[in-house]
Amino acid sequence: MSQRHRIAGGSIDRRQTLRFTWNGRDLTGHPGDTLASALLANGVRLVGRSFKYHRPRGIFSAGPEEPNALVQLGRGAALEPNTRATVTELRDGLHATSQNHRGPLGWDLLAVNDLLTPFLGAGFYYKTFMWPKAFWERVYEPAIRAAAGLGRLSGAPDPGIYGQGFLHCDLLVIGAGPAGLSAALAAGRAGARVILADEDFLPGGRLNAETHAIDGMPGAAWAAQTAAELATMGNVRLMPRSTVYGAFDHGIYGLLERHPDRAAVETPRQVLWRVYAKRAILAAGATERGIAFADNDRPGVMLAGAVRAYANRWGVAAGRSVAVLTNNDDGWRTAADLAAKGIDVRAIIDTRADAAGDGGAARVITGAAVAGTRGRRGLREVVTTGGARIAVDCLAVAGGWSPNVHLTCHQGGKPVWDDTIAGFVPGAALPPGLTVAGAANGALTLAAALRQGRKAGEAALADLGLRPYPGEDPPAEDEPSQITPFWHVEGRRRAWVDLQNDVTAKDIAQAHAEGFRSVEHLKRYTTLGMATDQGKTANVLGLAILAKTGGRSIPDTGTTVFRPPYTPVTIGAFAGRARGKAFRPTRHTPSHRWAAENGADFVDAGLWLRAQWYRRPGERGWRDSVDREVTTTRTAVGICDVSSLGKIDIQGRDAAAFLNRVYANPFLKLPVGKVRYGLMLREDGFAWDDGTTARLAEHHFVMTTTTANAGAVLRHLEFARQCLWPDLDVHLASITDGWAQFAVAGPQSRALLSQAVDGLDLSNDAFPFMACAETTVFGGTPARLFRISFSGELAYEIAVPARFGDAMIRALMAVGAPLGVVPYGTEALGVMRIEKGHAAGNEINGQTTARMLGLAGMVSPKKDAIGTRLSMRPEMNRPDDLRLMGFRPVDRAAALHAAAHFLTPGDPADMAHDQGWMSSVAFSPSLGHAIGLGFLRHGQDRLGETVRAYDPLRGGDVPVEVCPCDQIDPEGGRQRG
Amino acid sequence: MAETILTAAPALDDALVMGPNRVAERGDLSMVSVAIPQGGGPDLEEALQAAFALAMPAPLLGSDTGQIRAISSGADQILLVFPHTAPRPALFVAEKLAGAGYAVDQTDALLMLEIVGPDTPAALERLCPLDFRGMGDGAAARTVMDHIAVTLLRCEAERFQLICARSFAHSLLHAVETAYRDVIEPV
Repeated sequence: MSQRHRIAGGSIDRRQTLRFTWNGRDLTGHPGDTLASALLANGVRLVGRSFKYHRPRGIFSAGPEEPNALVQLGRGAALEPNTRATVTELRDGLHATSQNHRGPLGWDLLAVNDLLTPFLGAGFYYKTFMWPKAFWERVYEPAIRAAAGLGRLSGAPDPGIYGQGFLHCDLLVIGAGPAGLSAALAAGRAGARVILADEDFLPGGRLNAETHAIDGMPGAAWAAQTAAELATMGNVRLMPRSTVYGAFDHGIYGLLERHPDRAAVETPRQVLWRVYAKRAILAAGATERGIAFADNDRPGVMLAGAVRAYANRWGVAAGRSVAVLTNNDDGWRTAADLAAKGIDVRAIIDTRADAAGDGGAARVITGAAVAGTRGRRGLREVVTTGGARIAVDCLAVAGGWSPNVHLTCHQGGKPVWDDTIAGFVPGAALPPGLTVAGAANGALTLAAALRQGRKAGEAALADLGLRPYPGEDPPAEDEPSQITPFWHVEGRRRAWVDLQNDVTAKDIAQAHAEGFRSVEHLKRYTTLGMATDQGKTANVLGLAILAKTGGRSIPDTGTTVFRPPYTPVTIGAFAGRARGKAFRPTRHTPSHRWAAENGADFVDAGLWLRAQWYRRPGERGWRDSVDREVTTTRTAVGICDVSSLGKIDIQGRDAAAFLNRVYANPFLKLPVGKVRYGLMLREDGFAWDDGTTARLAEHHFVMTTTTANAGAVLRHLEFARQCLWPDLDVHLASITDGWAQFAVAGPQSRALLSQAVDGLDLSNDAFPFMACAETTVFGGTPARLFRISFSGELAYEIAVPARFGDAMIRALMAVGAPLGVVPYGTEALGVMRIEKGHAAGNEINGQTTARMLGLAGMVSPKKDAIGTRLSMRPEMNRPDDLRLMGFRPVDRAAALHAAAHFLTPGDPADMAHDQGWMSSVAFSPSLGHAIGLGFLRHGQDRLGETVRAYDPLRGGDVPVEVCPCDQIDPEGGRQRG
Repeated sequence: MAETILTAAPALDDALVMGPNRVAERGDLSMVSVAIPQGGGPDLEEALQAAFALAMPAPLLGSDTGQIRAISSGADQILLVFPHTAPRPALFVAEKLAGAGYAVDQTDALLMLEIVGPDTPAALERLCPLDFRGMGDGAAARTVMDHIAVTLLRCEAERFQLICARSFAHSLLHAVETAYRDVIEPV
């Protein structure tokens, strides 16, 4: 098919031909075309099917407001549905298909819905398909869902790349039409940092679609010249193809930049920018709206401004014979421009009885409207209210222009009705820092737009304390723009208001009759103004009809407001690069590389990647690895990287006093060279975090926290330091990442470390349990040594600066080899701490108290510390409260499950008889059977008793024996030995 | 045992070259945080001047002698960055300041990534919420890049240093590399 509707003129590059496909047909266009203009140039009128009734639909507009021409671009995984053909820049090789039809576009099987109109009116899903009741979930809803929606997703991950970023400017100008260009010019020349963003790929806005003159040249040429001048300014950033989709708090705007030429390459096809603007000017123009009359949805019925734009900007005749229906002066300009292009304008139908103008060769009919149309898949004829039949293939409808106030509403602003333009203009409550200029502000004529833009730019400069650049508005005229509102030609047949949602004037009347009289209720009941176009061409028309139906004025009826986004934003752009493994950052321990080389299987611990076990050849599964690591550690020696534990350096004259206030147990008298286990409570008295703190010097401590709470504890301590006790001389520094710290545990740990530590006597007398020292290892590397044990074995933690972590683990493994050393992961660590009865995150979960944990003795009543007072509340000290206990299955071969609830044998399994829960379980290779820790009601009095570990989720009901928490070495001889 | 000597390893491998841009870990610098004792601001200010001829840095600004740089890094805290000459930099600083501040060695806790090249501002736009173009050379500020807490130091218009916790080294490098990829047009 040739471009048989292509006419002379326009801002397209005819020297170059672009090839694209539409529903499998090969078509051509030119650079500068949109998909819509190219389709029209090729004579394609039917481009889609309507949402509900599957009515044939054609291109309606020439901009982002398009309700009909939603198409699918690309193929395979890159398929992108619901894309507006009117803003899709044509490129070579573009693959476009229509959507929302079963069978060919011309013979859509679901067009049968149009015959079911009586059943599918407004809110039909609330009141139809009610019987039989069971059918709703099984039949009706699935069927409706299958039929609903527009395009289809590919179902495969999007191969496109999406980027994100941050921009800063003095002034963000939204829209590069006459007002926006004027504003940017005024601010740019004055030296302000300006961003000029426009959703179109060609700056100029409506200037590209009109024949206005500015400063003696065509408006489009003035726009190009101005954009070129702005492009030379280092302080101005021109951003075409960039939609400002939202106005957020603190002068932050969301901006989506498109790079359509990057559909499948390495750089992002879209970039989501967060723009920090000191000031912003909304110069987003206005959107034309239609008039409701019978069958006004046929392909060929278009907005008049769009028909004019296709002729002037793209050199395309939307129809060969055109009629214009208008209620304002602007419609006449469409007729004049089309006639000037040689298009046969057969009639100008003006609803205003007193309208007068030069219709040229066209028949002028005033005081009339269009009563109906004919043509199955495209317009063939219009019938006027006076009964005249006019054969045309295009009807250009000019119902008036609605300022694009959307962004002014994003922070709760309500637009107000302006009778002079018959449209809503921005209200007084604008987002802070935002002003509005040009058509978006109701200044619908050219000279006014230029003037408002410049003034807004100058006002922003003054606001920012910058000197304006002296300048005047370029000469331009204010074109006629009188309007007498006319909304709806009443009749028997359906008149469409919202083309995208198939909402008709009858639907609005019906909603009103059923009591949905608020405009907000109307929207939700009929879906008017919803979906991708957000009712850009429909809202004002719909509420005008609602107002008329209710006998109220439009201001009395009110309007819905707009939320972000202004136009749809691909979800991929919100995700940006945060996909797959890059979803969040990860933290590596200093021995990560060595661990990876030695069979480590890593687990996420917060952001950290920690080795959970080290697989050896021949091991059949993780249990083999973990059992081996536990057994070897308990019989020889094991090493575990514990660098991820939080480490906080605490210094100051009042450091000891500070610790004494943040820990429940005393710290004032901790000797230098000693470590103490500390328990931290929340203010409400519940246990929060535990760890050890070492006193390295009189005023110098190092605290360890759990991995999970490292950040939170530091924050908590900073709060306490800065806000609760600002008088204390105490200072905190996170050194978590600064030290590679290894637990060396097992009966051979002393022998191993004796070969690593330089000249420190590690004998039990010289370096007893809970001792610490600053020392060196392997001939001079600085180190810190702590004699602490989480496993219950003779154990140490040795720390070296992180840079030496990789060398340290290799050296420790080398010197430990003759002793049979193994590395062990977090699973073995967990098994050993359960064997030893140490509480961890499963037990200190924010809902348990020191008393429940068996640590009540640590909460010193002799001092005041965070949480102490509230931990003494009677309810937290009930005699029958829960107590952490150990458990083992009566049948030693049975497995245990964490989260099983305890029941007294014979009691029914309900919450009234709940006795507590199992918090941690493991298979103990040391004992040869499963063991557990859990909270049992007055458990301390039930040693030796058998209770049920009842786990209905997994079908478990295991008799377990209550035992002490520490099932290994309860006397603690090993760790002190 | 005697023959085993631990060798320090960088957090990252070799420098990354992306077109005319270079991303590399600065392993030749020591970083020491110095906390200001309660009521000891003037003393520390004097000690800094005496020891290093450095001024106390104001928030968001660094002070720099060319050899040693001070960055305001938190409430009552500054970070000193200087060529790695002493094996125990915190001790070195503590001695030089003669007890006027509490020094903590952060050389191993932090990673400094230096990014330089003509595409650096464009790449940084993809990562950094700060208005780094509005910062003066030598200025520093805390921010977040790709969910990672980062201190940004502007050296020159096309040279910046990023400081983050060392364990994030690979993730920050990935973020920086991705940002460069996003702005360098494929050849």
